[in-house]
Amino acid sequence: MIPCTDFIPAYSELFKCLEARGGREAVLDFWNYLSDNFLGNLKRLVEEHGIRGCWLYWSHTLNEEAADFTMELDEEAREFRIVMHRCPSKGRLLACEHIEPYHDYCGHCDVLYRRVLEPLGYEYAYDMSRCDEAACSVTIRDNRKQVR
Amino acid sequence: MRRAAADNEYLHKDFHGALSTGIEYLHRRCGEDAVRDYLRGFARAYYAPLSAALREQGLVAMKEHLERMYQIEGGAINLTCSSDELLLEVEACPAVTHMREHGYAVARLFSETTRSVYEAICEGTPFAVEVLEYDDATGRSRVRFFRRAA
Repeated sequence: MIPCTDFIPAYSELFKCLEARGGREAVLDFWNYLSDNFLGNLKRLVEEHGIRGCWLYWSHTLNEEAADFTMELDEEAREFRIVMHRCPSKGRLLACEHIEPYHDYCGHCDVLYRRVLEPLGYEYAYDMSRCDEAACSVTIRDNRKQVR
Repeated sequence: MRRAAADNEYLHKDFHGALSTGIEYLHRRCGEDAVRDYLRGFARAYYAPLSAALREQGLVAMKEHLERMYQIEGGAINLTCSSDELLLEVEACPAVTHMREHGYAVARLFSETTRSVYEAICEGTPFAVEVLEYDDATGRSRVRFFRRAA
């Protein structure tokens, strides 16, 4: 068994393995597959609860991942925001001295969640400019037309 | 909501489902050997310090690794260890249990996270490993690490 606490390096090594076999396209194809086959709970929560579904989804995952973050939900503005002060996944990879993280490790967060949220009518803005410090931010806006 | 890393324990068992999805993807797109190659490559790289400890300290290093791992995951195991042999008996794999309980598909080759990973960790050490039993439905298993013949 690979314990779940060792998943992140296994995930990063999988990206490397796929890129070695099929280039960048193979990595993107996997991220799309993972989004379609693994993020059904995010999709269901957002379909059922609207922008609050984002809060419900990430409240669960980020707490279990022991992330260092600030999360805000403004239902009036129909906006949800995560400021990741220290990403537990990228932070672990950077701290591990004997393996090199996949060069675009953080790219999966852009592809996976965008693919779920944009078709539902949400805007997904991901700031990756500080990924090399294990920090990032995500803003999700509900752009669906409101029914009056 | 503001949370610091120290506010929570790092234990996100849904990662087992993500790994299983990755293994199944690789199996479908690239075949069985690709799954084994990937897991061996990961284990050689990430568990290199454990392989080194196995060479230097013997099977006690593997025993301590397994004890830590199953303590974190919460699985019931039995370990019988001597200087030449270590027997690991797992009642039910915590990863498989979590996936079954939460509706995640278990990859057809998920057992390779045991077989291929442990084989790769033992490479270049005085020890080898054999999986004596593995039940795909529950992950119940018996795994024997043993000193290679001189």
